[in-house]
Amino acid sequence: MEPPIYYSRTEFIETDTGNKVSRRATIAGPQNIILGGKTIISSGAIIRGDLRRSGPGHAVVISLGRYCVVGEGCVMRPPYKTYRGAFNYYPMKVGDYVHIGAGSVVEAATIGNYVQIGKNCIIGKFTIIKDCARIADNTVVPPNTVIPALSLFAGSPGRFVEDLAESTQDIVEVHTKQYYSRFQPLDRDR
Amino acid sequence: MAPSVLYHCPCLSTSSIPPPPHLPSSSYSFHPLYTLFFCEECDAVRCNRCVSVEVSGYYCPNCLFEVPSASVRAEKNRCARNCFMCPNCRNTLSVVPSDPPDSGDGRLSAPISTVGEPPFFLYCNHCRWDSSEVGITFEKPTGLAAQLQKLEDSSPDSLEYERLKEHFEPIIRASSLSSSSSAAPSTSHSHHHSNPITAAASAALARDIPGVAKYTPHARSGRHSGKDRSANKDEMPEYKSRLNISNASVYGSGGGDVDVEFMRRLEDVSEVASLEQRWNYSWSTSLETRDLKPLRIPLHSKRSKRCPACTHILIKPEQKAQSVRYKIKLVAANYLPAITVALPHQVEMLGHISAEAAKRSGKAPVEDDKDARDNLQAGKTYPFHMALTNPLYDPIQVRLSVQRVHVAATVTGEGGTIEKARRPPFAISIPTTPFSIAPFAEAWEYEDDEEMFGLDDDELEARLSGREKETKSKSKTVGVLEKRANVTVVGGEVALGKEARGEVKFNMLVAYTYRSDDPAPSEGHDVSPSKKAETKTFAFYTVVDLGNIIPKEKSRVDPYDV
Repeated sequence: MEPPIYYSRTEFIETDTGNKVSRRATIAGPQNIILGGKTIISSGAIIRGDLRRSGPGHAVVISLGRYCVVGEGCVMRPPYKTYRGAFNYYPMKVGDYVHIGAGSVVEAATIGNYVQIGKNCIIGKFTIIKDCARIADNTVVPPNTVIPALSLFAGSPGRFVEDLAESTQDIVEVHTKQYYSRFQPLDRDR
Repeated sequence: MAPSVLYHCPCLSTSSIPPPPHLPSSSYSFHPLYTLFFCEECDAVRCNRCVSVEVSGYYCPNCLFEVPSASVRAEKNRCARNCFMCPNCRNTLSVVPSDPPDSGDGRLSAPISTVGEPPFFLYCNHCRWDSSEVGITFEKPTGLAAQLQKLEDSSPDSLEYERLKEHFEPIIRASSLSSSSSAAPSTSHSHHHSNPITAAASAALARDIPGVAKYTPHARSGRHSGKDRSANKDEMPEYKSRLNISNASVYGSGGGDVDVEFMRRLEDVSEVASLEQRWNYSWSTSLETRDLKPLRIPLHSKRSKRCPACTHILIKPEQKAQSVRYKIKLVAANYLPAITVALPHQVEMLGHISAEAAKRSGKAPVEDDKDARDNLQAGKTYPFHMALTNPLYDPIQVRLSVQRVHVAATVTGEGGTIEKARRPPFAISIPTTPFSIAPFAEAWEYEDDEEMFGLDDDELEARLSGREKETKSKSKTVGVLEKRANVTVVGGEVALGKEARGEVKFNMLVAYTYRSDDPAPSEGHDVSPSKKAETKTFAFYTVVDLGNIIPKEKSRVDPYDV
C-alpha cells in the first residue's frame, strides 16, 4: 500500500550485500566502515571512518548493522575524549534496523537494534542507546547519556517521555524492511 | 495526516458498540493495533487503559543497574549509586575531577575521567551547572550517593519522613500482629475492591507493608460511618509534624519577607527556580535557582500486564532490565487481522513526487504541499483501498460492515443514536460479502526476506499496471482487488456531499471466522477446547479515518488544516 521511494540509478551504488550508498554522501576512510547489508546511506550524509583510534593495525571505526538508513545530510562521527592525557577516537557501533532521520548528528558510542532517531537530532558523544529506543525529531541528547530500552526521548536536553509499546520491535522490523523494499531505482519513464 | 485505522477496545463503556467517531471523546476508545493486547481466556481485546499492571523489576535508567525490590524502599525509589540529575535541566550529571593547578577552569578542559585530583564534583554536560556552586564536592569519584547520605539524612524532609515512620511504626506493628487474622476479611470488606485483580494488588500491598491491609479499608470507611472511626480512634493517635509547615522553610518560599527581599534584588528571571525545577523536591524549597540541589535519579520499572477480567498474564517481560524480549506476550496483532488503509490517488501522487525528485536531483521529496495533497475535496468521490493481513496460521473469512444507525439499534444500550441522527456528510460503500484471507506462513516471510527486492518489483509492476487500468475497470473499485500471500486488498468508495466538511471518519465492524479445530498450529487453541472442529467468529470495531475534507469554495491550501 505504501508508495515506492524512487532514487536515480546513477546516484546510488549497490553492493553485493544490498547496501545502497549515495555517490553524494561523503564516506571518509571507507576501509574502517562496516555496513551489515541492505543498509542505505542517503545523499549528503557524512560518515567519518577516517577518525580512527591512533596506533598501528586495522581498526573498525563505524559499524552499521542490516536494514539501517542514514538519512540525508546526517553526520556520523566517532566520539572522542582525552583519557589519561591521551586524545583518542573511540569506535561507534550501530545495530540492525536503525533509522537515523535527515540532518541528525550522531556521535554515540553504541546504538542498539531497532532504534529510531528522528530528524535534526544531536546525539552527544558517548551516548549509549539501548534496543528499541526512539528519539523524537529535534532532540538534543547531551554527551554520556544512557537511553534505556523501549523508551522515548525528546526535548533539549533529551529527557525520558514515555515507555514504548511492547510490540515496538516487530513494528520497527516491519517498517525498516518495508522501507528498504520501497527504496527502488527509477528506471521507467513516469 | 495519512489515512489511518484504529481499533476499538470496549473497556470504557458497558456496550460493545463503539461511540460515534466524530466525537472528540471517542478517541479514548480507539487505539492503534500495536498497543492492544488479546486475552485468549476471555477472547477479548484489551488495551493499556484496562489491563492491570504489576511491577516486575526496577532499574536505574542511567546506570541500568537492576535494583532488587528489597532495597528499592530503603533507597527511596532512587538510584543509590552514582546517578544524579541536574537540578537545572534534568540532564544526567557526570563526575569530574578538579584540575590540580587551577581548579577554576579545570572542568572545562577536563572531560569525564575517573582519575584526577580531588575534590570531585558533579557537572552537567548540557547547562554547565556544577555541584560546587551549591557546595557539594566529593573526596572520591565513586559511591557518591553514599557520600551524600549524611547530608541527605539531616535534611528536613527526611527527618520529617523518619518522624512519620516512627509515628506509624507502632501502629503497623500492632496491626501486623493481628493482620494474620484480620487482613483477609478486611480487604474483602472494602467496597472499592470488587474486582479480583485490585483485591490481589491490595493483598500484595498488604503483604509488603504490614499495616496497610488493616489501615486502608478502615480509614476509608471511617469517613462514611462514625462507628468505624470510633473503633479505630485509639489505634490512630494524631500526628504532630516536626515543623510547622508555615515556617518549615528557612528561606521563606511561603511569600514571607525573605522572598520579598529576594525579589527586590532580582536581576534575571532565571534566578528564580521554575516550578518544574522545584517540582521534584518533597519539601518546600528556596525560590532561588542557585539553591537547587542535585537529585538522585528516580528508578524505572519493568511491568507485566494482566487481563482485568480473568487475571491471566498478557505481558511478562524477561527479567533482564535491558532485554526487549518477553516470556509472555499476547498482543492483538497476533490475533486480529491488521488493516491498513490508503487512498490510491494519494499513493500515486507520493510515488510521482518521489520519482520527480529522483529525476531532478536526487533530493528528498518536498513535503510542504503535503497537507493539500492529503485532503479530500467536497463533492467528489474517492476510491480507497484497505489491505487486511491475516496473522493466523489458518485461513480466515472476513466480513466488513460500516456501522450505521440501524446496525447499532439491533443491540440494546447503544448510545450513538442521538448523535448519529445528524447524518454524516459522506457515504461509504465497502464490499459486504465475505472474502477470504490466506493463512500466514513463515515461508512467505522467509522468501520475502530473501528476495524482497525482486518480489516487490513485480508487485509494483502489477500495481502500476492495475492503476493504469483503473479508468477502464472503474466498476471494480468496490470489492476484492488483490490477493497475495496473507494479504487481501479490498476496495471501497467514499462519496462526499457537496456541503461536506470535517473529517471522513467512520466506524467499521470487522467480523472474521476461523477454524479452531487444529490445536497444534493454531494460535487460539486454548480458546475453545470444547468447540473442536468448529468455526469461530470474532468481531471487533475499528474507526477508519480517511482525512479531512476541503470545502469546495475554499482554496486547496487551507491554513487550518495542519
